[in-house]
Amino acid sequence: MEAPSRSDGHAPIGDYAAIGDGRTVALVASDGSVDWLCLPELDSASAFAALLDPQRGGCFRLAPDERYTVERRYLDETNVLETTFTTGSGAVRVTDAMPLPLVGLAPDRELARSIEGIGGSVAMSWSVEPRFGYAGGNTRLGTRADRPVATAGSEALAVNSWGAGDPRISDDAIRGSFVAEAGDASLIALSIAHATPLVLPARREVAERLSKTIDFWRQWAARRHYGGPWREAVVRSALALKLLIYSPSGAIAAAATTSLPEEIGGVRNWDYRYSWIRDSSATLDALLRLGCPAEAEAFFWWLMHASQLSHPKLRILYRLNGVPRSPERELPLHGYRGSRPVRIGNAAGGQDQLDVYGHLLQTAWLYCGAGGTLDRDTAGRLAATADLICDLWRQPDSGIWEVRSTPAHFTQSKMMCWVGLERAGRLANDGRIPDEGLGRWQQAREEIAEFVSERCWSEERRAYMRFPGAEDSDAGLLLPSLLGYDDGAGGERLLSTARHIQATLGSGPLLHRYRGDDGLPGTEGAFLACSFWLVDALARLGQLAEAERLMDRIVRLANDVGLYSEEMDPEGLEFLGNIPQGLVHLALINAAVTLEEERGRR
Amino acid sequence: MIWGALAGGFVGTLVLTTGLRAATELRLTRIDLPFLLGTAFSADRIRARALGYGLHFLAGLAFASIYYAVFRAVDEASWGLGAIFGLIHAIFAGTALVNILLPLVHPRMATPFNAADSTPLLEPPGFLLLNYGASTPVAMVIVHLLYGAIVGEAVFLSG
Repeated sequence: MEAPSRSDGHAPIGDYAAIGDGRTVALVASDGSVDWLCLPELDSASAFAALLDPQRGGCFRLAPDERYTVERRYLDETNVLETTFTTGSGAVRVTDAMPLPLVGLAPDRELARSIEGIGGSVAMSWSVEPRFGYAGGNTRLGTRADRPVATAGSEALAVNSWGAGDPRISDDAIRGSFVAEAGDASLIALSIAHATPLVLPARREVAERLSKTIDFWRQWAARRHYGGPWREAVVRSALALKLLIYSPSGAIAAAATTSLPEEIGGVRNWDYRYSWIRDSSATLDALLRLGCPAEAEAFFWWLMHASQLSHPKLRILYRLNGVPRSPERELPLHGYRGSRPVRIGNAAGGQDQLDVYGHLLQTAWLYCGAGGTLDRDTAGRLAATADLICDLWRQPDSGIWEVRSTPAHFTQSKMMCWVGLERAGRLANDGRIPDEGLGRWQQAREEIAEFVSERCWSEERRAYMRFPGAEDSDAGLLLPSLLGYDDGAGGERLLSTARHIQATLGSGPLLHRYRGDDGLPGTEGAFLACSFWLVDALARLGQLAEAERLMDRIVRLANDVGLYSEEMDPEGLEFLGNIPQGLVHLALINAAVTLEEERGRR
Repeated sequence: MIWGALAGGFVGTLVLTTGLRAATELRLTRIDLPFLLGTAFSADRIRARALGYGLHFLAGLAFASIYYAVFRAVDEASWGLGAIFGLIHAIFAGTALVNILLPLVHPRMATPFNAADSTPLLEPPGFLLLNYGASTPVAMVIVHLLYGAIVGEAVFLSG
């Protein structure tokens, strides 16, 4: 790979790899710069945000002084990144990880960069430029026990280096330089404290934590059930999801970043460091199908606890600690390649979206199907959710894509209401939830099916439309067929809709979500999760060979380390939107497992 | 009565600990006395913190006993006098006790003489504990004033 190039200080979005520890995630560009890190949690303020503002955001650079080429990979089946820089005079291997606190008195968070000279002699430079509070905090640099530290309020970060030159503080940065000869080993570790005194680690313990962290990831990956042809992509997706799982609660963040744009220079820049109810059924499905029962259990109960306060209504998204509020505000940052505003918080949290109720009941049904049991209170709440669907399904909503235009009767939302009532009926018939509302749920389900069949189907286009009277379809309509929506036509209408979506929203293997108005200026790229939904839908609707071919093409679109962002520009195949995007990786896993299952049925 | 002093010491430590925790949540300081005390005995963060809370409460009772001895010596106890003791206590803690004495006996606390290649070290507190944040001395004085006033009033009420 050629030396990476930056535009106005910005690396391409597809240039980032993610490392993390189950609490937060750092993004590392292929030129060795850590450009994104929020502390102490994934949804806290950033200490490094060069991703969104190269001048002010802060970063941790580490690279050779001379021109180089670069090769990257994750160490096999781990979330530990290995970057090899090759220069005219030699080669250096950098191993980046956020070690888990498995040895000794570990810091609150830790970011370790191990540097090995593997040939010749390479002059290296590094600089740590922390800017706490999304670069708005009063970051001070100083020393403790001869180690450089940066502090701001309750946050602190120490730079511990061994064999990486004498660190010096200059120009709001901590810098060092050294020459890596073949056989040399250096280590730079950031130890991070939140509301506690800093822990200044010993080299041996950092190295030991790094080694045990590699073992942990390998053991975790080895326990995932999937032996099909896309194992590498599936395991990478599982590892990416594990990075997005917030370990104290079990919630899964939609992505690790905020405000990476859906259109370069545009306004579609959102904070995805929240957990969306919309993603819940795909999340539980993927976790169960991959053999992650502990994560599935934690996620389900996080979902039930988080939604308890607003019961029976659901918020669209929740914070990772379960708090329902997500007030949106703008930050005075430059934005990725000038894409402003940079937002934190997410105003979509207060929208009405009917599909979330279907997802909640589908999630509960999957959980029970895997042997989970519901307590009486939870069972009652799920039955009340089904009752609420009966009350709400006739109302317009903002739909799965959280459009900011006038609410409409989105077909996908109605279908998901149908799925929710169907799952509630099954749960009641199995004695999992109270069955007093069964008759009402059945009746509402029939009314929804009639509404969808008569008002949302276009005989002319042979497809379900986005909403009654619309002239276009919506890739979100692929999703109900994956979740068991039965239109009474034996799948014929669903397959025909999938074909229509492919023809009208497709661009090569990529799909746009929709083309109609969504209340926002500008455009967006193709939505990568939709491509995997199409694979999944085609496989379930009997088009296995075509689905496999499409899967091959989309898997090849991942970046060099196997990650996806939310969207992709169909022309230049450049990543757009937040990264790594959980929904895309969930969709990849579910599509791969479906293909394997469908192949097994033949 | 000594029991009044001990009860006051318990309640005062409760208020002091809660006050410091609130100050950290308000991003005023990174001081964490239970963590500092507990890590003298354990490298396990959870165990250290649990142990540290126990030690901190014991220290609170011990200081209340010392306050009681001084109240007896001057034959007077009141919340105001207790608050003055608290102020002296805070200054002592910030300049000598936590700043100089704790690093000398704490096996994991960094000193100017350490090379940290064998064991992990804790960030030293610095003069007036300023390493843990510029507002730390203010937070320490406020919570120790409260602690002293509570002990003084408890001794006064218990006769």
